[in-house]
Amino acid sequence: MMKFLFMMIFMIPLCFMKNMFWLVQMMLFFMMFLFMNLNLNIMCFFNMSYMSYCDIISFGLILLSIWICSLMIMASESLFKLNFYFNFFLFNVIFLLIMLYLTFSVLNLLLFYFFFEASLIPTLLLIIGWGYQPERIQAGMYLLFYTLFGSLPLLMGIIYIFNDLNTMTIYFLKFFNMNMYLLYISMIFAFLVKMPMYFVHLWLPKAHVEAPVSGSMILAGIMLKLGGYGLLRVMIFLQEVNLKLNYIWIIISLVGGLFISMKCFCQVDMKSLIAYSSVAHMSMVIGGIMVMNYWGFIGSYILMISHGLCSSGMFCLANINYERLHSRSLYINSGMMNFMPSMSLWWFLLLSSNMAAPPSLNLLGEISLINSLVSWSNISMILLMMISFFSAGYSLYLYSYIQHGKYFQGLYSFYVWFISWVFIIIFALISFKYDNFKGWFYFYLILNKK
Amino acid sequence: MFFFILINNNSNKMFFLFIMFFSTLISISSNSWFGCWIGLEINLLSFIPLISNSKNLLSVETSLKYFLTQSLASINFLFMILIKFSLLKNFNMNNIISIMMNSSLLMKMGSAPFHFWFPNIVEGLSWMNNFMLMTWQKISPMILLSYYFNKNFLIFMIIMNLIIGSLGGLNQTSLRKLLAFSSINNLGWMIFSIMISENLWLFYFLIYSMMIFMMISLFFLMNMYFMNQLFINNMNFFIKLNLLINFLSLGGLPPFMGFMPKWIIIKFLLINKFYFLTFIFMMTSLIIIYYYIRIIYSSFMFNYFKMKWMNLLMKNNMLLINLSSFISISSMILSTFIFM
Repeated sequence: MMKFLFMMIFMIPLCFMKNMFWLVQMMLFFMMFLFMNLNLNIMCFFNMSYMSYCDIISFGLILLSIWICSLMIMASESLFKLNFYFNFFLFNVIFLLIMLYLTFSVLNLLLFYFFFEASLIPTLLLIIGWGYQPERIQAGMYLLFYTLFGSLPLLMGIIYIFNDLNTMTIYFLKFFNMNMYLLYISMIFAFLVKMPMYFVHLWLPKAHVEAPVSGSMILAGIMLKLGGYGLLRVMIFLQEVNLKLNYIWIIISLVGGLFISMKCFCQVDMKSLIAYSSVAHMSMVIGGIMVMNYWGFIGSYILMISHGLCSSGMFCLANINYERLHSRSLYINSGMMNFMPSMSLWWFLLLSSNMAAPPSLNLLGEISLINSLVSWSNISMILLMMISFFSAGYSLYLYSYIQHGKYFQGLYSFYVWFISWVFIIIFALISFKYDNFKGWFYFYLILNKK
Repeated sequence: MFFFILINNNSNKMFFLFIMFFSTLISISSNSWFGCWIGLEINLLSFIPLISNSKNLLSVETSLKYFLTQSLASINFLFMILIKFSLLKNFNMNNIISIMMNSSLLMKMGSAPFHFWFPNIVEGLSWMNNFMLMTWQKISPMILLSYYFNKNFLIFMIIMNLIIGSLGGLNQTSLRKLLAFSSINNLGWMIFSIMISENLWLFYFLIYSMMIFMMISLFFLMNMYFMNQLFINNMNFFIKLNLLINFLSLGGLPPFMGFMPKWIIIKFLLINKFYFLTFIFMMTSLIIIYYYIRIIYSSFMFNYFKMKWMNLLMKNNMLLINLSSFISISSMILSTFIFM
């Protein structure tokens, strides 16, 4: 694992050279393909070196984060064209990637906390530094203080665990059972805020609306998954107390997911619609993690990966429209099928995978999550049904508003297509197909081994 | 360079500066309470000439206020050591006497319930004098505090420090007052650390003074005293970045150096089972981060509506500051690699 870390660290000087924008991006792609071919062991951790290791959960999430980071650079090409501190932007992305990489791969709970928090700073810089409106300060403060409020007790919890067990190695935590309520709350609350759970989700739509495209992509793609990853890691030694208290989180997140899905229908801003939809999807992930059965575990993992791909893709598409029309309002963006017919295919593919239509990885995840939650309680069927239905509903709502209908009459001039977007779309396609096949394949493997 | 800034290019002040350093050493190394008191008095009398500045009208008032509060505290201290000498045997503890002694020392260092002089005096001092007031002047009272303290009283004072330091800075616009309140908050951490061990205190104190030195020297070089000056000056990008990193570091956010002392103190708090106190420590540091971020709004936003006519003609040639902010970024990460 050190080799990738060093590769990223030595990419930092490259960020500060002139005209190295695309080179950095290509290096990230290259690194992602190197990482993809890492020797993969399904059942155990592997590639342990120095202080980091990798198991199947970390592997997927690291792969996702390298991938999203390189796509982020690609999508914010306008920074390079406008010369808007793009050197520092590259540095920021690489720094963020290093922090994310270490968060997903470190062996030690305290180091996990450290890098978990450290990934917040570059994200904050992305939002406040490269955002558009003055309201981005408020959004950044919401982001910072919601997450810090949750994660400072997490530090207390981690140090308490160290004092109690004399180990902070994540791998060894499975031999312990900590049956304490306050510890439980302090350990999971940070992750629930990060996910975000229904009551503490307010920072997410705000941050998404104010963030530049790269900030939105990393937020939806990776930041939310940090919470899921943390929950998957800490659940293992909190099993007994979680069995007593999990109904709270499941009920809050499922009912909240329903409310949020309905709220999606009231949105007129593309980005905030996508942001709310990701809150709704993450609510199912929380449910799946909290019921703590095998379906839930696999399903939440798969839905995290697939949601990271498809929601960041949707944010990228929303930004393409925004750069053309300088508005994210659904009324102004309507009828885009007339102008960008080939873009409407991408909107269709990404939205169909957002609503978990058949060929997508989201379907796999949602099937597993529905299985797990129904096995937990039959009553949750009603909520799950409504959430699934509404997710199809708001995806269709977004699609039909943007693509169909009359276009905005006030459009004066409009340029359609850059060659670089073709590349983005092609890469997105590759990842989409590749991840689908690979995901289903792994799923098959895991189930068979079990 | 630092000394010349400190003494304002006035060689007479050099004398008082060295006396000041010397007096602190007297008081922390003397083996009788009376010697400690003498050191404190010399310290007071040598700091007052350093305050005086013919260009600043406030400096006379400031030195008077400083003299009054400090001498009040010294008199109390003297009175209490005499009472202790006459009433108690050598190693006896007495609640009332220890509380009185501690409170006189707390007043000397500007700790919370006796802090009212501190933000006022800070307003009248130059940046470098502020630096001395916030760091060096706290050494001797704090070391003396560690000799003879009342634990419950000090824990109560720590909570007061944390809360007042964090809430007091919320509505301020003067950078000096903000740093004063942040130093009151940090005093809570330092008093706790000196209750645990002197090495821990030294660690916290050194890192805190280093961070505050970076900020103060930056503000000193840019001539900034109020928050709106940060917005109307057209700052270099790297200066903005330094400001940003140093403030986040002082706030104790993880990838920066300032996290390390806070983390270690939290560790000691939890080893000693101060769970509720830890919670207060953390939540007040959240508020502290809030007002630090208010200071660095202008550096967070890379573009905002600037008034173009206030160009600050300062190149980024401050090797010292760049170096220190580099330390601030990297030392934490490097140290994690070392300790693993």
